[in-house]
Amino acid sequence: MASLEDELRSALRRQAPSPDFAERVLARVAAAPVRRTPRVSQPWVRWVAAMAAALLLAAGSLEYRHYRGERAKDQVLLAVRIAGSKLNKAQKKVHMLAHRSNS
Amino acid sequence: MKAAGVPIALLLLAGSLPAQQVRWNFDKLAARASDSTDVSLDGAVLQLAGKFLSDDDKDQAKVKKLVGGLKGIYIRTFEFKKPGEYTAADVEPFRAPLRPPDWQRIVGTHSNEDGETVEVYIKNDSKGIGGLVIIATEPKELTLVNIVGAVDLDSLSELGKHFDFPQVEVEKKK
Repeated sequence: MASLEDELRSALRRQAPSPDFAERVLARVAAAPVRRTPRVSQPWVRWVAAMAAALLLAAGSLEYRHYRGERAKDQVLLAVRIAGSKLNKAQKKVHMLAHRSNS
Repeated sequence: MKAAGVPIALLLLAGSLPAQQVRWNFDKLAARASDSTDVSLDGAVLQLAGKFLSDDDKDQAKVKKLVGGLKGIYIRTFEFKKPGEYTAADVEPFRAPLRPPDWQRIVGTHSNEDGETVEVYIKNDSKGIGGLVIIATEPKELTLVNIVGAVDLDSLSELGKHFDFPQVEVEKKK
C-alpha cells in the first residue's frame, strides 16, 4: 500500500517544463496549415446572386399586387351584391306600391 | 366680430371638403351579434379593384363603370341568433347623422310579412348625388351600407338583381 502511494506521488510530482517548451509550441502553431472559409472571389458570381435576389423580390412583389387586386375585386363584387340587393328590394316595393295605386 | 369669423370660415371650408364616410359606432351591436361582416373599401382599393374587373364579363364591366366614380364603399352586416336581440333604439343612432339639408331620405319601406325595413338616404352635392346610405333591418339581421361618391342608383339596383357573382368568402368577425 505504501509503495503504491510512493509510486503515485512520484508520478504526479510537479515538474518544470523544459526551457524550449514555449518555443516548440509556437513553432508547431506557425507550421500548422491555416483553414480559411471559402470566399467568392469572382465578381460575376456576386452579380448573378444579386440579380437573382432582385428578380425574386420583383416576382414576389408582382404576385402580392395580383393577390391584393383579386381580393379587392372580390370585395367590390360582394359590396355591390349586398348594396344592390337591398336597394333593389326597396325599389321593387316602391314599384309595387306605384302599380297598386295606379290600378 | 373676429370670433364670429372663425365658424363662418369653418363652414365655408366644410362645404369644400370632399365627401366623406359616415362615422358610425358599431361597438354595442358588434358585442351582441353572433356574426358580423365588414367590407371597407376606400378610393385606392376601388381603383385597384377596377383594374382587375374584366371588361369582357358583362356584369363585371358594369360594376367597373359603377365604382369608377366612387370614393368609398363601407358595409357592415350584423347577424343575430334570435329575433329581438337588437331593437329600434339600437338603429336610431345610425340615422342621427343623416339629417337634412345634407341628407335626404328618398325611400322607406316596411314589410309586415317578413318584418323587413329598408331605408335609402342620399347625399346631395353640387354635382348631384354625392353619397348613399342604406339601412336595412330584418328580425335577425341588420345591414348598413355607406357609399361615398357619385353613385348611379339604377345601375346599382340593376346589379343587385343578379346573384350570379361568385360567392366570396369574407373574413367574418367574432
